[in-house]
Amino acid sequence: MKTIVGLLLLLLVWEISALLLSSSFILPTPVETFKALIHELARIETFHAFLSTAWKGFFVLGLVVLLGTLIGLVMGINTAIYEILRPVVMVVQAVPVISWLALVIFLWGIGWKGPVLISFLSLLPVSIFTTAAGVRSIDKDLLEMVEVYKVPKRKVFKDIYLGSIVPFVVATIDISIGNVWKVVLVSEFLCGDEGLGVLISWARQYVDVPRVYALTIIAVVFGIISERLTRRFVRRLTRKWGMS
Amino acid sequence: MGDVLEVKDLVKRYGKLPVLDRWNLKVSKGERIVLLGPSGCGKTTFLKIIAGLEGYDEGELYMNFKSLGFVFQEPRLIPWRTVKKNLSFVSDDESKIKEVLKMVKLEGFENHLPSQLSGGMRQRVNLARALLNDPDLLILDEPFSSLDLPVKLKIMDDIVELWKESNFTLLMVTHDVKEAVYMGDRILILSERPSRIIEEITLSFHGNRMLDERFLKIEAQIIRILSSS
Repeated sequence: MKTIVGLLLLLLVWEISALLLSSSFILPTPVETFKALIHELARIETFHAFLSTAWKGFFVLGLVVLLGTLIGLVMGINTAIYEILRPVVMVVQAVPVISWLALVIFLWGIGWKGPVLISFLSLLPVSIFTTAAGVRSIDKDLLEMVEVYKVPKRKVFKDIYLGSIVPFVVATIDISIGNVWKVVLVSEFLCGDEGLGVLISWARQYVDVPRVYALTIIAVVFGIISERLTRRFVRRLTRKWGMS
Repeated sequence: MGDVLEVKDLVKRYGKLPVLDRWNLKVSKGERIVLLGPSGCGKTTFLKIIAGLEGYDEGELYMNFKSLGFVFQEPRLIPWRTVKKNLSFVSDDESKIKEVLKMVKLEGFENHLPSQLSGGMRQRVNLARALLNDPDLLILDEPFSSLDLPVKLKIMDDIVELWKESNFTLLMVTHDVKEAVYMGDRILILSERPSRIIEEITLSFHGNRMLDERFLKIEAQIIRILSSS
């Protein structure tokens, strides 16, 4: 109920602001936008763009979680590797998207590879640092217990190290799922050949502002739904870690 | 009876801070020894030395046991693993796991997570894990400090029963005088840090110690020794 009230309030503020500005080049009214939205939803082109953005988003998310966890795990276990790789990852984290953009355009031109690489590099450092922090904060009492009972390393790795990082992998997914769509859309906008970001870019070129807003609504709704579903799925998987 | 443990002039320091000051002690097979001393006097450090988790600076330490069980102050269970998986983490012997779960009265809780157990039950899992390798020496590091009295008494009784059945050597540290008198056949009283063994009391009870009138007398005697040290 409160969500509906909140949405109605948002629509009201939007309508009033649009009336006050009275320029659909800056802020079209909700009615204009929803007309554009219905038009967009009826087009097969939008559906293809949506699929293109979706696979890129999930692919990047999977890659970030997989590689980020692996690198973070190694960095967390070995202090020397942590000290060596930390500056590298920090530099990757600090590089602006625009610099990656120049690189991928020189490398591959316009296409799907650029948005995927840019999104991946934007999200990877968070995944690495979160996992490494998780491994480094493993309960020392558990490790002492392991030493007393001389538990084989294979078991320690599987049951203690891998188990300990689960909450941090979940945290990575939580953070990344919220950001991945935004990053993918921006990179599609800048160097993609298909996807919602590309459609937004074309709509901007044709100064079709209601269409920009309509495509944004599609991206936002999809982002929220995928975020909720992913979180619910991950939480169910990790209930025994006491996180739900 | 052979000695399970012999300690001669053992000294331990953390940097310049002396912790154990020339400890001398012999533990015979099948004894129930309690080290009783104030918090921070180095009791746990001594247990860690025996378990190989810490080294020592001076003196000699002879150990003559095949396997060791360690009941930690906190259960130290893997939170995301069930009771059974926590035990199989230490030993793959399925039948032994069943046996120790029966011994500590946790049958039927194999598939529970630690978070689904009470504090007393978690401590029983801690005990079960320590019993898995048929220890010759069972070390208990203040294992009852977080438990309320009825649970504590029940587990203490169970450990004594297990000791009677298995006849392992029991070495416990505590700062609780009642626990010491309840659990030990020999109590070694420790001074403040740097700790020394200042007194040794040998007990011989028959039947329920708590109901024996000597219990309170021994307790008072120990309190007097601790107060004057």
